[in-house]
Amino acid sequence: MNNSEAKSAIFASIRQNLAASLPFDAAHHAHHAPKDSTFTTPVLPELSTENLIENFRKNLESVGGNFSIVYDESEAAEILLMMIGEKKARKIAVSDSPLVEKIVGFLKMDAEFIENASADRLFECDLGITGAQWAIAETGTLVLESESERHRLASLVPPVHVCILEAGQIRQTLGEILELVQQSLSRTITFITGASRTSDIELTLAIGVHGPGELIVILIDKTEEAEN
Amino acid sequence: MEHLTAETFDQNARAALADTQLRGALKNLAVTFGERRQAAIATVENWEDLRERARSIKDETLAHLDKYLTDFADNAEKAGAQIHWARDGREACAIVLELLKERDATKIVKSKSMATEEIHLNAALEKTGIDPVETDLGEWIIQLAGETPSHIVVPAIHKTKGQIADLFVEKVGIEKSDDVDVLTKTARRILRTRFAEAEVGISGVNFGVAETGTILILENEGNIRLTTSLPKTHIALMGIEKVVPRFTDLDVFLKLLPRSGTGQRLTTYQSLITGTKRNATDEGPAEVHIILMDNGRSRMLAHPTTRQSLACIRCGACLNACPVYQQIGGHAYGSVYPGPIGAVITPQLVGIGKTKQLPFASSLCGACREVCPVKIDIPELLLHLRAEIAEGVTETSTHKFSEKLAFGFYSFAWSRPEFYKLGTKISRLLQKFVAKDGKIGKTSGFLAKLAPPLGAWTAWRDAPTVAPKSFREIWKSDLENK
Amino acid sequence: MKISLFITCLVDQLCPQVGKATVEVLRRAGCEVVFDERQTCCGQPAFNTGYRTEARKFAKRFIEIFEESDADFIVSPSGSCTAMVKHFDELFAEDENWRSRAARIAAKTYEFSAFLVNVLKIEDTNASFSGKLTWHDACHGLRDLNVRDEPRKLLKNVRNAEFVELKNADVCCGFGGTFAVKYPEISVAILDNKIAEIEKSGADAVVACDASCLMQIGGRLSRLGSKAKPMHIAEILAAQE
Ligand code: SF4
Repeated sequence: MNNSEAKSAIFASIRQNLAASLPFDAAHHAHHAPKDSTFTTPVLPELSTENLIENFRKNLESVGGNFSIVYDESEAAEILLMMIGEKKARKIAVSDSPLVEKIVGFLKMDAEFIENASADRLFECDLGITGAQWAIAETGTLVLESESERHRLASLVPPVHVCILEAGQIRQTLGEILELVQQSLSRTITFITGASRTSDIELTLAIGVHGPGELIVILIDKTEEAEN
Repeated sequence: MEHLTAETFDQNARAALADTQLRGALKNLAVTFGERRQAAIATVENWEDLRERARSIKDETLAHLDKYLTDFADNAEKAGAQIHWARDGREACAIVLELLKERDATKIVKSKSMATEEIHLNAALEKTGIDPVETDLGEWIIQLAGETPSHIVVPAIHKTKGQIADLFVEKVGIEKSDDVDVLTKTARRILRTRFAEAEVGISGVNFGVAETGTILILENEGNIRLTTSLPKTHIALMGIEKVVPRFTDLDVFLKLLPRSGTGQRLTTYQSLITGTKRNATDEGPAEVHIILMDNGRSRMLAHPTTRQSLACIRCGACLNACPVYQQIGGHAYGSVYPGPIGAVITPQLVGIGKTKQLPFASSLCGACREVCPVKIDIPELLLHLRAEIAEGVTETSTHKFSEKLAFGFYSFAWSRPEFYKLGTKISRLLQKFVAKDGKIGKTSGFLAKLAPPLGAWTAWRDAPTVAPKSFREIWKSDLENK
Repeated sequence: MKISLFITCLVDQLCPQVGKATVEVLRRAGCEVVFDERQTCCGQPAFNTGYRTEARKFAKRFIEIFEESDADFIVSPSGSCTAMVKHFDELFAEDENWRSRAARIAAKTYEFSAFLVNVLKIEDTNASFSGKLTWHDACHGLRDLNVRDEPRKLLKNVRNAEFVELKNADVCCGFGGTFAVKYPEISVAILDNKIAEIEKSGADAVVACDASCLMQIGGRLSRLGSKAKPMHIAEILAAQE
């Protein structure tokens, strides 16, 4: 296959056709010129951490996500313990994030925690626990950067995904997050907003088609108790 | 199953109108998607600004497509992806086949991609004995049924859940259930085994960022994440128009696309993939191949009107809003891309010869233009293509000669007041034979044959008659000197 | 204020009473109304079917005739024919001179209801009509000319009438020019949704500002023997009981 030949043919065609268009461009522009000058990104008021959290919670819940807020890692472990019991999870996929490791370290139970599971073993897991690098309040979205944590599959394959988040990771808008993640672009960045869903059959919503059917976020906010 | 072709659009449409199952399945589309879209749009303050912005980003990209494509390819390669170029669908299929052969791969999972549908990749693979598995629920249903998608976002929209239940009984041997959850869980169970063994994952691309070489793919189900994470090799097929200049441009499109398409603020998952993994022990495929395909796209750059077609982000909003699509669904268009956008890009992609009906399959109501997140003036494009057809720029020979004559006559006579007035008088004379109580009812037989448009009109609708006194006559006698 | 009427061929031949009503309303509003008898058709059927050479002839003729007039505005009782005038310049992509002449004519051309409300600043024409009225947004008036609120304001001020909003008022009636006879089955399938909503509204008259849509809707209403009548907005606004 001669790829460079195809490439130059495509580029030649692009240039030729763009040139052919020139005589018509002005007349068309008169009718259709985008009014670009009017575009401004709306300036949003700086939100306090408390408001950001509240915003995030509201939007996460609106897409069916489950939200709890805790004071510290050990409290997170308590909640996690309860959940694992409730789901009767026996095999749990975990990411390699220090935060997740620390919390899992608190758990005294006989479930199996598997880090860096092979594909086969992943498919047997009942639950996955990961962290996230950022969260977007305006959409209730988790942002996972592959360079920071090994969470691509643990957040995807098991039927339940538990994500541990810290209050300082929340930003208000998608735009802010794009700017942040671009600074050192991970090979894979995943945005997660709610549980896996489909409307492919008669536009009826069904949850958990390929990814997790449940998304649970445990947020650690160390200022919580102090304020209480 | 026989696939319909665009050549027989009129017959296809008639059959679709008579298909009560189909019309039942389509019934909720407009309302459900329409309402969800409205609600989602209301969550951004500057919707119109966003549309303008998106369009100007697309215009800027297309005007310098060579530059942005070069940047994209260079940056993706720098990040470890391998870039391939395909002039047309045949070349793109050949590249995929070659990649599979080199890797001795036969277990293929696919996620929904209109570009792969466009080039009939599955058929090309099947010819060599490879059975790629579609993993998007709707696409899987279609694949089991041996059909083609009828909507670019919800491919199986033409099927009722009863039909899908029967299909599952027949093809995967489950007990009959028309519980959507049960059907969905069945798909999950069966497709998981396919994911576990897959050697290569094939996906499409929603956006490619020139500045970083990143590809972005949106979805709700998670099958795209699985397709692009589990197999050792990921092949992405990308139309050359999918490039955007800057990483932060994604902000605009991520606000527009889900809201317009499914009425979501954001789809469940976005995967932003920049090249391959850095260390062998990292998660994800070892190889990422991006095939950049032209397949008729660069031709559309040749005129500002047709160039707009390349701004399309395949959200499907124009289908949902189209009164014609709402009645007949997607298959009648006989093309991978149905609805308003299909009616304008199909003739450009495959040639106007066999698709001449499509640009006429519209009442030009403009609902598509109103909802399009990138402000594509689809009616303008339809008119442009109609002109190409009528004026024979592309192919005159088979276009209805009688119509051309009629319009020639009309433009001669009706631009001359004396002929115009004579025409009025002749009509008044002729209608004496058919009119009753000031209207023309059903005309059949000889007269309908003599004047087919009159027959087509009056089969369902009464036609008005020419008034005994025209306005210009009334003006002269009653109004002018008052 | 002097108005040159662009009456359109459908109104001229099929429903001259609409033209008469248009003149009445405009005169009552204090306008001087003139009508140039040389006018025929705007060429929309040719343009919409792809016959641009033919459409260009109509456009040039139209421009020449109306350029001669010293009227301040050109007013038409049709949204889609007004929209056609606004499209004239697209026919002259490579001809600066005609393009700007087309643009000048387009700038002074108005659809009837928008002209009343936006130029004359009239929202009440002192009309009276007993019965239930509803409004159908003809596509070109709505989407090419952005006429949405103007006719509603006018209709709501009609004495003795009750205005009801039609569900899906802004959805096409299925006419679409030659589309209605090229694909009559699809056209009528779309139309029947409109008819169903009109029946549900219980309106005595479905009002629009386009003779073509009224012909489509009216043709079906009449075939089905409905009590609802198609009426042009000028007829309603001229009515004085
Ligand atoms: S033409 Fe516009 S509305 Fe239609 S699919 Fe493309 S982007 Fe969406």
